[in-house]
Amino acid sequence: MAYVATRGGEQAMRHAEQFFRTLNGPVDTACIRLIQRHMPYLIDRIMGEASLYAPELAALALVQTGGDLYEAVLLLRAYRSTQPRLAYAIPIESEQTLTVRRISAAFQDVPGGQMLGPTLDYSHRLLQTELLDPTQAPPPRVPMPEADTAAPRHYQPVTTWQRLNGLLDAAPEHPPCDPVDIPDVTRQPVTFPAPRAQRLQLLARADTGGLLTLGYAGMNGYGITHPTVNELCLAYADVYLRNPLTGTPFSAGRVRISQAEIVTPFRGGEAQLGLGFAATMGWNEVKVIAAAMLDLEMDGPDPHPAHQEAFVLTHTEAVEASGFCIHYKLPHYVTFQSNLDSLRRAQTQASHRVPATEQNE
Amino acid sequence: MRRRLLKAVALPGYQVPYASRELPIARGWGTGGLQVTLSLVGPCDCIKVIDQGADDSVNAANLRRFIARMTGVETTTDALQATLIQSRHRIPEERLREGQILVLQVPSPEPLLPVQPDLAKAREMHADADYALMWLSLYEQLVQYGTFTTGAEYPVLVHGRYLMSPSPIPRWDTPMLHQAAHVTLLAAGREKRLYAVPPYTDVYPLEFEDVHFRVESQQGRVCYQTGARHKLMNELPQPDGQVRYQLSDSGYATKLWQHQQGDTVTIGATYYDDAGNFYHRGYLKPDTDPA
Amino acid sequence: MQSVPIDARERRFQAVFSAMLAAFSYPGRLQAPWPAATPCIDACTAIADVLIDLETSFYTPDAELHQRLIRTGARVKPPEQADYQFYPLLSEANLPALQAAPVGSYLYPDHAATLVIGCLFAAGLTLRLQGPGIQSTIEQPIDQLPAAFWTLRTQVIQYPRGWDVFLLDGSRLLGLPRTTHAEIL
Repeated sequence: MAYVATRGGEQAMRHAEQFFRTLNGPVDTACIRLIQRHMPYLIDRIMGEASLYAPELAALALVQTGGDLYEAVLLLRAYRSTQPRLAYAIPIESEQTLTVRRISAAFQDVPGGQMLGPTLDYSHRLLQTELLDPTQAPPPRVPMPEADTAAPRHYQPVTTWQRLNGLLDAAPEHPPCDPVDIPDVTRQPVTFPAPRAQRLQLLARADTGGLLTLGYAGMNGYGITHPTVNELCLAYADVYLRNPLTGTPFSAGRVRISQAEIVTPFRGGEAQLGLGFAATMGWNEVKVIAAAMLDLEMDGPDPHPAHQEAFVLTHTEAVEASGFCIHYKLPHYVTFQSNLDSLRRAQTQASHRVPATEQNE
Repeated sequence: MRRRLLKAVALPGYQVPYASRELPIARGWGTGGLQVTLSLVGPCDCIKVIDQGADDSVNAANLRRFIARMTGVETTTDALQATLIQSRHRIPEERLREGQILVLQVPSPEPLLPVQPDLAKAREMHADADYALMWLSLYEQLVQYGTFTTGAEYPVLVHGRYLMSPSPIPRWDTPMLHQAAHVTLLAAGREKRLYAVPPYTDVYPLEFEDVHFRVESQQGRVCYQTGARHKLMNELPQPDGQVRYQLSDSGYATKLWQHQQGDTVTIGATYYDDAGNFYHRGYLKPDTDPA
Repeated sequence: MQSVPIDARERRFQAVFSAMLAAFSYPGRLQAPWPAATPCIDACTAIADVLIDLETSFYTPDAELHQRLIRTGARVKPPEQADYQFYPLLSEANLPALQAAPVGSYLYPDHAATLVIGCLFAAGLTLRLQGPGIQSTIEQPIDQLPAAFWTLRTQVIQYPRGWDVFLLDGSRLLGLPRTTHAEIL
């Protein structure tokens, strides 16, 4: 009976996975390379949510899950948790990054200039259906024209000028700290109110869609701010490690990162600008803008969910939210049976009780 | 994980925060229980994994397959043979003994959640042992429905101090935690909380002096496969509108069935006897609903 | 299906941890996770291997043990801050340290120290133990601990706050979580 059924269940599980793989067709190295090459923004999004910067593994995760983003992120996170911590990178300042796109909506021009960089912002959103026609020659490659003068590699933050002019509070003092002492959400449980480091880490690996929903709710009238994008940056950041023998810092490689700052006046009852910040691995503008907005609003005085830190950070956890949602597929018949027992008992009680109106008569 | 488990045993019913790692199993599918199991398993262990009482449920089979693959330990469906039992929402009908470990998977560790969704505030209530809101909610259930309406996951007070969610086990299983010979470890992977009920520890469901906690009635239910009575039954709706009943504990059912076929099997003493009496006499009080 | 090999070191950790969990689950019952007549300092080291790493802190007044434990990468903290404290030989002079050891808060009673203390499970004082994990009561002789330790323990523990103790001699291990009530007979 049960023993036989156990084996049947295991076979069914194997077949179910096989069915999934068969339906989605065979995968090989070439197809993983192709996805890695042509879908960098998708790869970036997954790496950010997985907090694992590994474009090749992210492409593999995507292919292996048939493009199910939540599954792909889970695969990467599960892989990540098996990897030992080899070293702690040296913290860097945001102006040390190699910035390729930097814009500010707060001023027409800012020190260092507005730099559009690579973006589809001003493209016409028309499907290039001609690409579907195999008989047409592919459009000729237009080489990027060289600039007369090279763009700056680093930019002075907009906040530097704002602080000089008394619009923003001075940056909080943070004495140099050992990276070992920075709280790490992947190693320590989060309790609320969360330390700032944990809050920024949770935002950095949060679900893009979840942050957008809550951030948009704020922007769309449930918020207390009209957000102004103070600065938005896409950059390459060097990962500096120390040579274990000599102690000399060296760059072990570069990762793509996004950063956004949101400002709003009269924040917290002060005649000052309030500042929200978010950053993530990979280039994902909508995520950092929404996250910076939430960073600014999360300590709000009103009970709206988007203004409660614990609500925002708990419910935008991609792996937990998706895992819990799909766990309802599991059988719950014992729990349901227990509820039925209470329900039937209440029904019996109700049929025995004299309605209040009759009692009064 | 191991450090936190020790703390959990030293603080019966208290939720110890821990850093739950991502595992190759989806969150909400038993990752908390799995992490506990993997941190405990030794070469001589024998594992049983159940889901809703069944060893043959796909999720139980999947977790068992994963544990065996990662550790190479033996597996069983017999609660008596197992040294470690990982379970979702049930405790076996046969009494567990000293030295056995029961790991319960927990979806929501906070018993105060229905009355206090803010977890920081709920923690303060635990710190103050202030469970007034919970009592109030029980009272409101009585007023509105004439009975306690909580189904599974009935809140209990552990060692006279902490209010605890026993995980969504049916009320039938709740008394099995009281003064038990085995240790129960409860883990919520998604919520990152661990807690424990050590052996021989008081576990009492919340109840009023005049209105008592009640387990699910199994009165008149007979397992259609084994003829067993007074054990927790699954209710199976039939196409003709009738219903039949089947033992929820599949490992126990298998042994009863094998015994009936003439096989030699050891069937252990059960928490409830064949007349439905719980083994700690007097623990379950008589029916006293207002009506 | 492939099985992941578990190395000897991990097997040893697992065995010691199992004994520690059993010691806290059944306080007052002696566990034997290592060979008989293991030097107390080695037993302390075996326990430390399970309990401490980069992410924890420790304290011990014993110079040799201190040198060994430093190798785990755990941080050295004074007794009023250290998570895990090791006293292979507890003397009256160590009692102020125990008095200062963290007992956690009402919000986080788990933020309390765990103490590992050497003793002898023979002669000396007889303790009557009672509490979770003990069916009625257990009587256990314990020697080489200052009698004032027991008074101090009673004062320090204000459940749920308080520290938890592992007592060990060369062969055996005994758990005294804060829930265990100990009375000198």
